[in-house]
Amino acid sequence: MNTTPAFRVVVTGIGSISSLGHNVGDIWDALKEAKSGIGPITRADPAKLHVGKIAAEVKDYDESQHFDDTELLLFDRYTQFGLHAAREAVENSGIDFERDGLGEETASIVASGIGGWDTIDVAYNRMMVEKKPRVHPFTIPRLMISAAASQVSMKHGLRGPTFCVSSACSSANHAMGEAYWMVRTGRARAAVSGGAEAEITLTSQRSWESIRVMAPDTCRPFSKGRKGMVIGEGAGIVVMERLEDAQARGANILAEIVGYGLSADASDIVMPDKNGAAKAIRIALESGGVNPEEIDYINAHGTGTQQNDATETAAIRMIFGDHADKLAVSSTKSMHGHALGAAGAIEMVVTIMAMNEGVLPPTANYQEPDPDCDLDYIPNEARDGKINGAISNSFAFGGLNAVLALKAI
Amino acid sequence: MTDEEIQERVFDIFSKEAQLDRGSLTAESVLQDLNIESLDMVQILFGIEETFEVYVPQEEVENLKTMGDVIDGIKQLLDKNDS
Repeated sequence: MNTTPAFRVVVTGIGSISSLGHNVGDIWDALKEAKSGIGPITRADPAKLHVGKIAAEVKDYDESQHFDDTELLLFDRYTQFGLHAAREAVENSGIDFERDGLGEETASIVASGIGGWDTIDVAYNRMMVEKKPRVHPFTIPRLMISAAASQVSMKHGLRGPTFCVSSACSSANHAMGEAYWMVRTGRARAAVSGGAEAEITLTSQRSWESIRVMAPDTCRPFSKGRKGMVIGEGAGIVVMERLEDAQARGANILAEIVGYGLSADASDIVMPDKNGAAKAIRIALESGGVNPEEIDYINAHGTGTQQNDATETAAIRMIFGDHADKLAVSSTKSMHGHALGAAGAIEMVVTIMAMNEGVLPPTANYQEPDPDCDLDYIPNEARDGKINGAISNSFAFGGLNAVLALKAI
Repeated sequence: MTDEEIQERVFDIFSKEAQLDRGSLTAESVLQDLNIESLDMVQILFGIEETFEVYVPQEEVENLKTMGDVIDGIKQLLDKNDS
């Protein structure tokens, strides 16, 4: 990928909601303490589940505290999470898009892997189980996978390029990557981007159980004895703008996005391939003119499945060589679960916090080393560490890989 | 269901989902030697659960070495259902 950089792109606002908290501060406090948001499932009947009796649910969330009755008719849980995180990110950035006249040129690119699964379940249940002849008239605007992107654009008056990106577990990284390219190339002046997901339903959990990638105990990425992933939910949103704009308005600049790498394995719908993952990492570094030695921290995809964690480790070794033994890698999915289409955005927010706080977030629930996973995974305890360069990996079912590279500024 | 019926149905499922030569399957067939793709294995397990109305825990799957182990495992799960 050989493109001439036009504008330097920085992040000036972050927002998130996950099983660890309803805002970035609470989430970060939990991560530093290696607290896990994984617990007994409440959004589905555990008696109807085998392995999926645990999940990383957003807790103590009362939707009526955040949205009025009319809005709630229109917002699936996933859209609510997207809006919730976007509100925090926009406030954090200090931008008022309408007042500052930026709305016309600002993109809203919000990913989801699934969209409104809960709304689909309700509609099916109503027709197939309750045998009612009609469903709610807002079923379509609630369930559509682009609903969060639309609602974020409407809420904040963003009239630039607006769409949803969906690429399973890489959705949010693809969304933020495209937003980055838009700002970098001048197609948008600023962007509000990330991902939102709320997929903890009975049918979804049963479907994940059937494909046999779920852990019955907890999520232990890179650890010997790991048994798979634990589904999470939530959202992450970042505000991106040109460096020069951020400096001109005296914004608090949180990080610079410097590279974006994409690739496809083109091999298997579920099994990952180290070559595809390595290619995305390499392109992310090269496109940003970043040497591998400049990377201090990797927020791994680290799902906790046997295949992903060994493959990701191999891919990191392929690209970083000897430097792989000097950098730190962690999977924060061990704490906030795998929020699928929101995962990359939740993890981007985590990575930016780590960079700004000088703290490396741990891989929780780690038990003992696995010979196939032989990097420094920051097991179980956060530690101080300066991060000048970082990457955040997402490698999805279907072999869809997206990696973002960041630098401190 | 007789042991023979269980075996026949297991061979049906394996041969269909993993495109195996049904005539070559025996209770002694070693699963690893059959080179079954992971997604095919998931479908085989789903087929077993649907056919025999049982739940096959993942930790038991990891202990299966031969086709005979699969058949014995199903018998145990059926016995558990009956008890």
